Amino acid sequence: MEKQEILRIENLKTYFNTDDGMVKAVDGVSFILNRGETLGIVGESGCGKSVMNLSVMRLIPSPPGKIMDGDVFFHGKSVLSMSEDALRELRGNKISMIFQDPMTSLNPFLRISTQLVETLCLHQGLSRSEAREKAVQMLRLVGIPTPEKRIAAYPHQFSGGMRQRVMIAMALSCNPEILIADEPTTALDVTIQAQILEIIKDLTVKLKTAVILITHDLGVVSGMCNKICVMYAGRIVERASTDDVFRNSKHPYTRGLIRSVPRLDKTTRERLYSIPGTPPSLINIPECCPFHPRCEHAMDVCRVKYPDETDFGNEHKACCWLYGDSNRTG
Amino acid sequence: MTKYIIRRFLGLIPTLFVIITLSFFIIRIAPGGPFSEERALTKQVLQNIEKRYHLDEPLHMQYGRYLLDILRGDLGPSFRYKDYDVNYYIRISLPNSMVLGLLSLLLSVFFGISTGLISATRQNSTLDYLSMSVAVIGISVPLFVVGPVLMYIFAMKLNLLPTSGWIMSGDSWKTLLMPMATLALPYFAYIARLSRASILEVLRSDYVRTARAKGLSESVIMFKHVLKGALLPVVSYLGPAFANIVTGSIVVETIFRVPGLGRHFIQSALNRDYTLIMGTVIVYSVIVLIMNFIVDVLYGFMDPRISYR
Amino acid sequence: MAQATVSANQHPLNQFDQPIKGVSLWMDAWRRLKKNRMAIYGLTLVTFYSLLSLLAPILPIYSYKHQVLDHQYLPPSLTKTAGELLYERQEKTLMEAARDQGRSELNEKEKEELSALKQRINQETMVFDGKAVQVHQKRYILGTDSLGRDLLARIIYGGQVSISIGLVGTLTAVLIGLIIGALAGYLGRTFDYIAMRIVDIMYGLPYMLLVIIFMAIFGRNVINLFLCLALVSWLTLSRVVRGQIISLKNSEFVQAARVVGASTGRIVFRHLVPNILGVVAVFTTLQIPSFILMESFLSYLGLGVQAPLASWGSLVKDGVDGMKSYPWMLFFPGLAMTIFLFSMNFLGDGLRDALDPQSKNKL
Repeated sequence: MEKQEILRIENLKTYFNTDDGMVKAVDGVSFILNRGETLGIVGESGCGKSVMNLSVMRLIPSPPGKIMDGDVFFHGKSVLSMSEDALRELRGNKISMIFQDPMTSLNPFLRISTQLVETLCLHQGLSRSEAREKAVQMLRLVGIPTPEKRIAAYPHQFSGGMRQRVMIAMALSCNPEILIADEPTTALDVTIQAQILEIIKDLTVKLKTAVILITHDLGVVSGMCNKICVMYAGRIVERASTDDVFRNSKHPYTRGLIRSVPRLDKTTRERLYSIPGTPPSLINIPECCPFHPRCEHAMDVCRVKYPDETDFGNEHKACCWLYGDSNRTG
Repeated sequence: MTKYIIRRFLGLIPTLFVIITLSFFIIRIAPGGPFSEERALTKQVLQNIEKRYHLDEPLHMQYGRYLLDILRGDLGPSFRYKDYDVNYYIRISLPNSMVLGLLSLLLSVFFGISTGLISATRQNSTLDYLSMSVAVIGISVPLFVVGPVLMYIFAMKLNLLPTSGWIMSGDSWKTLLMPMATLALPYFAYIARLSRASILEVLRSDYVRTARAKGLSESVIMFKHVLKGALLPVVSYLGPAFANIVTGSIVVETIFRVPGLGRHFIQSALNRDYTLIMGTVIVYSVIVLIMNFIVDVLYGFMDPRISYR
Repeated sequence: MAQATVSANQHPLNQFDQPIKGVSLWMDAWRRLKKNRMAIYGLTLVTFYSLLSLLAPILPIYSYKHQVLDHQYLPPSLTKTAGELLYERQEKTLMEAARDQGRSELNEKEKEELSALKQRINQETMVFDGKAVQVHQKRYILGTDSLGRDLLARIIYGGQVSISIGLVGTLTAVLIGLIIGALAGYLGRTFDYIAMRIVDIMYGLPYMLLVIIFMAIFGRNVINLFLCLALVSWLTLSRVVRGQIISLKNSEFVQAARVVGASTGRIVFRHLVPNILGVVAVFTTLQIPSFILMESFLSYLGLGVQAPLASWGSLVKDGVDGMKSYPWMLFFPGLAMTIFLFSMNFLGDGLRDALDPQSKNKL
């Protein structure tokens, strides 16, 4: 398949100026997204994944947050330097987002129809009735029964899973090129999770939408994503295709994550594995590899310098001092 | 929704009941009334009262009569003024108070929300600090300081506005300005602060973030998405605000000599004209209760989480 | 795995050898409060007022109740003594009378009057509290009122009265509201139902009217004032406290404490109370100005504190009466009161912002 780059993030840094100090939520993140790809971003709570996605569309609340460095390119055009009007052209139209908690992400005072129709009217220039038609279609696509009737309801009249479907319908209604899904299933029951992921997968394949899926659940990414970026303390510590990550992971953190997943095929009586320690607070982290306090391979150099990126071929890269000078990229 | 309205309406009844009962007992117990030997009332008033209150009947029958009278709208004779009854006073002064009260409320709501809106959209700017400081002054300075000061500046020194008179008695519309401004000030201030805080809070919510992520413009977000939710606390406040305006109007009417119910209330309190006092209280309470009821229903309409259960 | 080591100044170290400073709710709140300039100004002014009120008896000011009828309605002056002002006033009156008669100079009789006045000014003494005072040498910085009493002293003592009413009244309201709200929240069921019905009913009554009636019936002393105002103000607090207790009662950290075996007393004092203190603190700071306003309202109507006691409300009332000719009588008490209320409101706002966990490092 021809790879066509649509989104490129280069060395993005988003910091927050808080009472306790400077929080380096995103500290130099880079990746590329091609047309039709599904990219998974994995990491524990607090590693900066949500902040990174909000930064892509400049949705970071500006005091106290600020994008300090780096850039985001959509089809080669810099998003961070765009005018407000151009930015609004993008949002909801070429790049859409769905959020973690559907309960609070929908306006409780407006009907679903209003919320769906406004995006369509705004970006696709449809008339009210045309937009409403399209909205009903979208609701049918995401599996909401009797959408012609349900569309007039308010958000609190839907269950959690239904609300998330509505959000998906809203996000995909203008046929965007990229869908950013920020932990779409974390707030839902396990049984509903599978359904929602199915819907996302089906629709994005059908509409040829690229997806950035953010989650802390490895099981989710294994089923849905072509490539994976593993994030830790505001940086990407390893990136590779899904296969490579699961079969051939290089970074100790990734390895630790995979080891932590309980397996049905191993019937040992051992305790379940978990990575010792806890993720660090992102306030005033000194210069070092942030994983070193929890790493069983930690060396002296790990305490004082952030590792350079090592290229393992086939677009598999990791940042770790274990892979020393010999394999360094530029 | 109808269930909600009915429930709210029924809630009014116990309060009304308590007020009327209180009124009954206060008229009897309070020192200086017709039922105590403290005061020497004129023969005629005494006769009126005895006739009206059927003093020879047992207490519960008197109470029953009182209730019925009230329900029929008859609030009894005045102690002080032998030829008139309470209804008369209320009839001539209530409209003036209502005009003053409602206009002041409208003024404070309109300016309060606008100021809050402007402040919230320009958070931490000079305009914001300025309006909020004015608002704090508004809730700190008592009415009876503001009123006389306004009168001093505009009426005595600058001679722009009249010191007394009332539009409904035939004087110019200018007589409305100072009383309304004085009465509206603290509520304008409170509503401004309330709406600012509420709007700011809604602006931080997840659903506004979704709206932004959809590419909507800031003005659409503000007027379509934010205001509906943000104004709910303001609507809730209107009930107590109106109750406070009622009490505030008493002072304002005194200062600007507006011929309203408040002035009669004070006079009667100082005169110990208990039927007039309690009659006034009942009327005021009924008005406040109705206002609260209207506000509750309005709130129910505005918040779909209540109407569509 | 990293051990918790301790740095030089006794802070535990985290994984990156950085000292971890413990943060309690109050320290956090204080830090936030400090940054709020207006709140700090408010705090300073409130402290200043409180100190003045407390130290009033030992301050070098005149008494608030000594009347010198000669000194009625003297304007404020930093430099001139009462005597000088009296003299000037008399001179001016005589000159005006002379001008009315077509003369531009005082005649002999009038000059004699003036010098007799001057004599009296230099020599007259009055006895106050057993001490003889050269009464016309007094300097009234803020002027005098209708009975020749020093306005500055009256404002300070009035402040004492007003502030204590505000404080005591609020504390009473807090006590009532806290107890009823906490009980209603914790016990639930019948007690809760009855209590909340009562609150609902009382909410519907225009309480100011009730207060006025109460005072009119039962007399106008200060105790009644406290009682009455406290009785109508506890409502809001009880609702808020009840809400907090209900949500806390079922919260996970209380369940966790119970599971670990904590006794009810420990749960109440260690866990529930600190969570409510914040709300109570904010309520108190914002209710005090409200109380003072209510009291001054009543004083204005003649139902508040009675002479010779003064409160800011009664001072303003006196001031309004003489506003046209003697504006300082309204201006200074009004200003003093407004500044105090202003400061308390800013302080209350600042406290509310500081204690609100919502605004804590929102990412």
